[in-house]
Amino acid sequence: MILEKKSGVLFIAGLVFFGLAFVSNAVVPALMYKKLPEKTAEQLVTVNGNLRYQFEDLARRWPEAFRAAFGEIPPEEGNEREKWLNRACADALRKGRDVYVAEGCWHCHSQFIRPVSNEDKRFGPVSKSDEYQNELQRPVLFGTRRVGPDLIREGGRHSNDWHAVHFFKPVTLSTGSVMPEYPWLFDGSPDKPNKKGLALMTYVQWLGSWLESYPYYQDYQENLVLKLKAEVRR
Amino acid sequence: MMSNSSAGESPIQRPLRRKSRWSTVILAVVILVPSCLAFGKKLAELISLAQGDADGVFAITPVVNYLLASLGFFFLFCWAILNGMFSDIEDPKRSFLETERMLDDERI
Amino acid sequence: MSPNELPQHEELVDEKLVISFFLAALGYLFVSMLGGFLMALQLIRHFPFPGVELLSPGRWRMIHTNVVAYGFLANAFLGALHWAVPRLTLRTVLSKRLSWFIFAAWQVVVLSTAIGIMLGQAQALEWGETPVWIDPLALAGLLLVAVNFMAPISRLTGPMYVTLWYFMAAFVWTFLTYAMGNFMPQYFVTGTAAGAVGGLFIHDLVGLFVTPLGWGLMYYFVPIMLKKPIWSHGLSLVGFWGLAFFYPLNGIHHFLYTPIPMFLQYAAIVATIAVELVVTTVLINFFATLKGSMSALVTNMPIRWFYSGMVFYFLTCLQCSFQTTLTFQALIHFTDWVVGHAHMVMFGVFSFWLLGVMTYLFPRLLKTEWASQKMLSWHYWLSLVGITLMSADLIVAGPFQGYSWAQLLPWEVSIELSIPFWAVRLVAGLLMFSGLLVFLTNIGLTWAKSRKLSHVAANV
Repeated sequence: MILEKKSGVLFIAGLVFFGLAFVSNAVVPALMYKKLPEKTAEQLVTVNGNLRYQFEDLARRWPEAFRAAFGEIPPEEGNEREKWLNRACADALRKGRDVYVAEGCWHCHSQFIRPVSNEDKRFGPVSKSDEYQNELQRPVLFGTRRVGPDLIREGGRHSNDWHAVHFFKPVTLSTGSVMPEYPWLFDGSPDKPNKKGLALMTYVQWLGSWLESYPYYQDYQENLVLKLKAEVRR
Repeated sequence: MMSNSSAGESPIQRPLRRKSRWSTVILAVVILVPSCLAFGKKLAELISLAQGDADGVFAITPVVNYLLASLGFFFLFCWAILNGMFSDIEDPKRSFLETERMLDDERI
Repeated sequence: MSPNELPQHEELVDEKLVISFFLAALGYLFVSMLGGFLMALQLIRHFPFPGVELLSPGRWRMIHTNVVAYGFLANAFLGALHWAVPRLTLRTVLSKRLSWFIFAAWQVVVLSTAIGIMLGQAQALEWGETPVWIDPLALAGLLLVAVNFMAPISRLTGPMYVTLWYFMAAFVWTFLTYAMGNFMPQYFVTGTAAGAVGGLFIHDLVGLFVTPLGWGLMYYFVPIMLKKPIWSHGLSLVGFWGLAFFYPLNGIHHFLYTPIPMFLQYAAIVATIAVELVVTTVLINFFATLKGSMSALVTNMPIRWFYSGMVFYFLTCLQCSFQTTLTFQALIHFTDWVVGHAHMVMFGVFSFWLLGVMTYLFPRLLKTEWASQKMLSWHYWLSLVGITLMSADLIVAGPFQGYSWAQLLPWEVSIELSIPFWAVRLVAGLLMFSGLLVFLTNIGLTWAKSRKLSHVAANV
């Protein structure tokens, strides 16, 4: 009689089926990746020279804005300075991710490269699981829509200057872009990024900075055009 | 239901029933034989996959997962039938309309 | 139960509460459509407020989806449940004061969600961007809803009608889904596994919250409107158990070709195709019920809404069983195809059903006939043409975008070719929006008429 009793509906349909799906669709992957440890933002920074370079680049380009956002960099070279920079960079990463989520960036820019549709030619190496096992992917920012390009290999492709101007008013650099403007990441002009702006740039420069093929420039455009021209001539 | 119809059957209906039984058998053969062949082929592929490397065993996991769940579902279903819970399965659809009617009649 | 112990309708149903839920729902639908409108303007490069932080299209996109789910659908469902459950069980909800408390608390939840997102506190969970601090409150609200409705249902004896099966399961599922989606990827799992949970959440929110409540209401209202029982109650139970079994297994099909293990992706694809078979049994049941009463599609406004929604439901599920295959995914994932699909489900199916329920219930609640039948017709046709145009437009846009990416054309090309499609989408959205305005006007007029009538009655 259990199927016709209310407790039966509640128990079987409600809990058992839900639980079954939960086990097969959520617990199984979670267990499979258990051996991959989750990295903290600090751990991500310390082994990543590319990211640190970009972060220090922010300080060189906009010293005042950088000081206002993160404080004074210890002047002497050495352990102290290294430690300070790593910590500040990790903070910036976390903050930058929060801005990225709050502005809904990830609803128009996905963060994974599929092995199909020539995506590895356009964006770079196909995504692997361990790339996502870190604090900044909690919850994961795969995304489901690409109005703009995928960003998981974006780090290093453009300079910080480019990003500043682009966040401030995208159409100045990408003609025809439908991306909204984000002037509240700046104090009035693109050369005065505030903490949110600097943090977001750090975050975007981080994406893909851990790869060997860093930075991944898309060089196919020119080749494709040349090829097409050759075909037309023929 | 079944027993009622066969008891009240007239002799004229009998050839018709025989005819429909034959068409059922033919249809069953046409549908089932290729399906079973294809299924058997896939099953053989699956077994050879499972006997392969570790990844192959991984591929079996969801299949087993589904099979077990479906089996449980099937047993529940059999048990429910044996308990007679499908004996009056169509009643609620009428009784609910009846109460609806009564609730609305009151208002007038 | 003999007729003389039958409780009165007035004791069972708190009509003011139902009206309040419906009006709140329509208000949120208005807000949500406004959000969609803003985003649509941004996409054709005509956003009227560039650089205004609180009106940023990125944030309003999230308000658009969240307010539809938690503002419009949840409120409309709660209103309809407060009508249907007491009448089906012949018992009141646990407490009418609790119902009013839930009403107030839920509006607080939805408003703070919208304001939190507007202020930039969104959570990184698609369709669950509710700021992290609201999640426990919303969950408590869902628990209260379940308790409130389970009280009358649990006291029932004897076989239950299929509507109640769907409702009961939905109360449990909604609670579990919300808890899983909002807490698991935030606090317990990271990375790829969190992606799997996220996919499960998006999917279950449709499949285990909206779908069972929607079908439950259809099994309740369609026989009442057609004045005859559903064709086969047994078949309806097949639909219910099929949904319960296959729907939750679909989650990962939102993230195909991700680093999620391939065998799990295959499993999700197979389960998705199985759902289509289950859906077919449900539709056969409803169309067999309609047989012999086809004229109701013309004469009966709610029936027209219901069955249009069902046709859309069949189309979306059919579309789903194709687009979930890896072949289709390679091309259409990340494109507007999926956006078109989502609009067809949420507006073309569930909003259609709920608007149909409202079309039936408002005259009964206000005890007045609709002020204008013509306006009802306009509402229907504007919505129908709007959603058909929008989903067709976006679904066609999808392959264009997908091919332009696969051919490695510069990114700008995919934007340029999308602009005409996005312009058509804006027009389609405006049609749906004007349909809603017509409906709201009609409700206002009907309310004024009911006031006048009761005034006359009081004077007499």
